Amino acid sequence: MKKILALFLTLALCLGAVSALAEAVNPADIEDTITSEDGTYVLAFVTDVGQLKDKSFNEGTWNGVKTYAYENGLTYKYYQPANGDQATDDDRYDAMKAAAEAGAKVIVCAGFMQGTALAKAAAEYPQVKFVFIDGWAFDGMDNEVGVAYKEEQCGYFAGYAVVMDGFEKLGFSGGGGGTNPACMRYGYGFAQGANDAAAKLGKTVELKYTWAYGASFSPSAELQTLISGWYETGTDVVFSCGGSIFQSITAAASANDAYVVGVDVDQSYESKTVVTSALKGLVEGTRWAVAKAFDGTWDEIGGTAVSLGVKEDAVGLPVETWALEAFSVEDYEALKAAMISGDLVVDDNAPANPAEVAWSNLTVDYVE
Amino acid sequence: MPFLIRQTLIYAVPLMLVALAGVFAERSGIINLALEGIMIFGAFMGVLFVRFVQQWGWFQAAYDAKNIFSLQCFCLLAMLFAAAMGALFSLLLAFAAINLKADQTIGGTALNLLAPAVVLFFIRIIANQNTLNMYKDDAAGWFMLKKSMFGYGRKEEMNFLGSTFVDKVYVATYICIIVFVLMAIILYKTKFGMRLRSCGENPQASASLGINVIKMRYAGTVISGALAGMGGFVYVLTTANCSANGDVAGFGFLALAVMIFGNWKPLNICGAALLFGLFKCIAASYSTLDINGDGVYMLKELNINTNIYRMMPYVITLIVLAFTSKSSRAPKAEGIPYDPGKR
Repeated sequence: MKKILALFLTLALCLGAVSALAEAVNPADIEDTITSEDGTYVLAFVTDVGQLKDKSFNEGTWNGVKTYAYENGLTYKYYQPANGDQATDDDRYDAMKAAAEAGAKVIVCAGFMQGTALAKAAAEYPQVKFVFIDGWAFDGMDNEVGVAYKEEQCGYFAGYAVVMDGFEKLGFSGGGGGTNPACMRYGYGFAQGANDAAAKLGKTVELKYTWAYGASFSPSAELQTLISGWYETGTDVVFSCGGSIFQSITAAASANDAYVVGVDVDQSYESKTVVTSALKGLVEGTRWAVAKAFDGTWDEIGGTAVSLGVKEDAVGLPVETWALEAFSVEDYEALKAAMISGDLVVDDNAPANPAEVAWSNLTVDYVE
Repeated sequence: MPFLIRQTLIYAVPLMLVALAGVFAERSGIINLALEGIMIFGAFMGVLFVRFVQQWGWFQAAYDAKNIFSLQCFCLLAMLFAAAMGALFSLLLAFAAINLKADQTIGGTALNLLAPAVVLFFIRIIANQNTLNMYKDDAAGWFMLKKSMFGYGRKEEMNFLGSTFVDKVYVATYICIIVFVLMAIILYKTKFGMRLRSCGENPQASASLGINVIKMRYAGTVISGALAGMGGFVYVLTTANCSANGDVAGFGFLALAVMIFGNWKPLNICGAALLFGLFKCIAASYSTLDINGDGVYMLKELNINTNIYRMMPYVITLIVLAFTSKSSRAPKAEGIPYDPGKR
């Protein structure tokens, strides 16, 4: 009797496992925290400033880590450096060290600010492989890869799309206080796209541009007041470029029945105010690099820096949730094709203040 | 101008409500330094309430049907819940200060340290991160009054009164003002209020006339907790898209300053809070402020460094405090544990 019961149980377990595999994995259904039996976690993720579930940069990268680990039966864990927004290089290093000592074979680190800590950790743990999202390569270190994105390209798409759709008064609110290269590229691309679209339509558009109150990538009453003031005085759409500051901007937009451009991931699921989002393929890029570490092809990318752009299909706009009317998916595809073929080049040498650049059809109002 | 008034109220109203909370406690003889902690706790509880009710789908039908009245009732329920939880939390201070005769400053500081820790602990369990958000949509969509609800289009303007006091405001703000007025009347015009105040001046004399000092001090602290809890929730509702993260940007301490600044009197507190809120609002939005409606952004054209504007609210508070502190008069018996045998 016992044997039959055991047999049944085993069968049930097997069936359960099979059915679990058969389903498509939705990141939301995978636990964020698991307990491994031997206390080691093979695949680790160290977050950037801001929240793990920021519905943007951290969450996108984490979803890549989580889904890869889940599908390949690996143990995984995330580490948030101590002291939150005020995290120092030591705090980040401690998080990486904790990950390495907990048996991590691959550590994914998100955000360019982790550079210093990462260089130290990568030198100290040569057997561990590091994936540096939004990062670069370190000289002579084969156990690290930098994965960067051409944010200026999707920023360009977003700026072009909203202007072609009829918006004339735009805004940009960025995180990182004007020192974060990814956010700067996004914003600069957004301005270039807006300028080109305005030139095509033969009109001039306005762009209010600020880094104020976004340095820590967290929402604040002051940011909401600032952006409310913009919407109040006629701004139609604001590009929310920095993780959780989305909360402040969407609150201001919703109050004014105005619009927002999301960042990093498709944020139209978060708020009805989102018209489109400048996407970068965080999930895909992370999975791609992590897979190289586990399938024995790490040598192809170890010690190098890759920059993923429209050619690799790593940046773009969300076509599934298209909400723009005058600018269609076909228009977008045509624009994308032009960029892939090289007819259209977006400058990536982004200044913190685009008002310093000469524009043909754009007035930039830089708000300190 | 309407924008400036509206945004000023957003900053000022929670501030004055919480300052009044401080007055209630201190008038009964208990120094309530824990205002910040109680605000944090109340904010967390209110957001938690909103989140769970949304998750259970209780008011979903009202939201879909754009039933403003039901949604505002939902908001009021969340405010009451936050107030009740704030009152509960303040009992810790009341027990330590009244029954155990502990040092009230230390008791309040302990609560200030306890609140963010407890709140973050639970937020991490519930949301797996440091911020607790609404379950879906945004605060403005659920709880804010908008001109579109009254048949105005996106580019149509309401008249001055409408665009100042109806469009883009939270009813919660007005409820807070009503509560503020009611509580101020209770404190100054009723028998209960007079007895409560007497316990903060000379509790032994009050006791000799048959007033239960212990009860009165409990009442003062619990009312204080309720007001601070409600203020905390309204603060995060109106300024943080109804999300709690164990922080209210020091508004509890600011409220203490406003209370002293306002000389423990409701009307002065109201003025102090409005002054502070006004400058806070100017600092954040001076570049789009058009005060007289002529399309010129005067403050921006002055070309003064942004940091000057950002300093203003605090500098003004300091200056006014320096000038008014001479005439300020704290309740005499505040901070002294009640000892019936003392003469």
